[in-house]
Amino acid sequence: MADAIASSRHKIYAIGVLGFVAILSVLYYFSAPVYIYIIAYMWFGFIFGILQQYGRFCFASAFRDLIMVKVPRMFVGIIIGLIMLSIVNSYIVSVYPDKYIIESIGFHGLLGGLIFGIGMVFAGGCATGSLYKTGEGNMISFAVLMSLAFSQAIFQATAFDWFSRHFIQGKTLNDVGLTKLLFGGIGNHAAKYSFWQHLVGDTLVNAVLVGLLLLIGVYIFVVRKPFLKRRARQIAVTAGATADGGTAKTGFKDELAGFWSMISASRRTSIAAILIGIVAGAQIFSLAWLQNHYNFTNFGQVLAGKPAVGAPLPNGSKVSPTVPSSWPGTHAAYPDVSHNNTVFDPGYWYITTQEAMFGGWVLRHIGFSMSNNSYFGMDNGLPNPWLSPALLLSIGLILGAAFKSLTAREFKWKFPHSKAQWAYAVGGGTLMGIGARIGLGCNIGAFYGPAAFGNPSAWVFFVGLFLGAAISARYINFFANRKMASDDMDFDIKL
Amino acid sequence: MKFNKLEDGKYELDVTGYVCPHPQLYTLKCMEKLEDGMELDVLIDNPSSVESVTQACNGKGYAILEKANPKAGVTALKIQK
Repeated sequence: MADAIASSRHKIYAIGVLGFVAILSVLYYFSAPVYIYIIAYMWFGFIFGILQQYGRFCFASAFRDLIMVKVPRMFVGIIIGLIMLSIVNSYIVSVYPDKYIIESIGFHGLLGGLIFGIGMVFAGGCATGSLYKTGEGNMISFAVLMSLAFSQAIFQATAFDWFSRHFIQGKTLNDVGLTKLLFGGIGNHAAKYSFWQHLVGDTLVNAVLVGLLLLIGVYIFVVRKPFLKRRARQIAVTAGATADGGTAKTGFKDELAGFWSMISASRRTSIAAILIGIVAGAQIFSLAWLQNHYNFTNFGQVLAGKPAVGAPLPNGSKVSPTVPSSWPGTHAAYPDVSHNNTVFDPGYWYITTQEAMFGGWVLRHIGFSMSNNSYFGMDNGLPNPWLSPALLLSIGLILGAAFKSLTAREFKWKFPHSKAQWAYAVGGGTLMGIGARIGLGCNIGAFYGPAAFGNPSAWVFFVGLFLGAAISARYINFFANRKMASDDMDFDIKL
Repeated sequence: MKFNKLEDGKYELDVTGYVCPHPQLYTLKCMEKLEDGMELDVLIDNPSSVESVTQACNGKGYAILEKANPKAGVTALKIQK
């Protein structure tokens, strides 16, 4: 009885969450029709939240569980999602060439990935994983998010420009993308490519080929041995040998069966990965369409009330000087928008910068000077959180995950209850924040998105992530072994 | 995290309140301590850990005999080595 009441209460809360997002959308729209742009960010976040919670989609899990408990399901999920996003993306950038982004390759990617990788394993989730887990009621993940927000904001306002001058500017390989490498045009920013060229360069080579090689590696080093051992025993039993003594030879067919068992091991992760890839692509397409429709290239222009006259819209036409009546009447000025009348508006699935902006906005409002740097001052501004497009995506993601976990009876409030848990959350979140800014992005912005765009820079960040995750996993494993070293079969461990 | 012996061959592990990677890590380490045929009842309130434990059990050949939700947000697994 009590269980049924709790269950229906969860469903009511889930409807409440959905209703809240719907009402918020209506309020935004009637405030100014152009706000449909940030409403779109929020709803895409909401869908990401549902899918991530359903698939338990977390990049920390991809590396950590592979290393610590030999579970490849999330690693497989990331590669599947990456391939899907890359296919959709190849089409989008052939229609909207302006959306074809190539990140720089350099030491910063490796170092950023390493620090981020160390942090995400300690934190118990990557940047986007921490968002969806917050939606599950996990306030340890919320502590991670806050640490991520403020560590980034402080790093950007104090140390980033120095780091950039010494380790990034003039020290990177620029404009190197797989499609450009294969079909020419490196250094020519106006170069345009067909869907098929992007599909070969960005998708087949950078996502499918590299992804397949990684999956084969995971199969050989993690899955193959235990799978073939079980398979040999099954064959022997079927052939009539005793279950405990007999083994049989396995062949290539069994290897293929093993590889497939790895790919299909977690249905929910694979489904979520495919849908996340498609939705992430649909988001890029939708936001580009809205920019064309509402005459802006960055949402900061809308907030400032100043069209970037002559700037190329995603569809190739130019921004007109006419301020559309759909724009709000209020005009944000520096530092709400940057000196360039921009705010952070990536146009695709992005996670960490918007949290940095939130941290920066809070610090600015308690009296710190936050805009005297390139990050906030020239690029991203410090808009009110409710007018920060990508932050609406993050909020939508939390709410989407809350909705899904409530409907699945998986929502549960959980708070840090020891110093060690606080240390893992705050330490991990802080390292993730610093790593994300050094690497110019997180697991999404510096890896997932760029890898789908055919950027080799993504794989540099990936190597760093893997090494970082391995370091943390080794430490946590060592700590666990020491805690459990006693021969006593009973234990009571407090972290 | 509490690991207790219930009776001969049966143990329980409570990892509620903990987040990744600790629930899956300690569950599998406890399973390693058990002998073939022994059972472990695990309580987890971290959904992604339930997924990881399930996958790890499949990979290692441990049988998940029961899976239940004793209350919202909590999953109980009965695993046999």
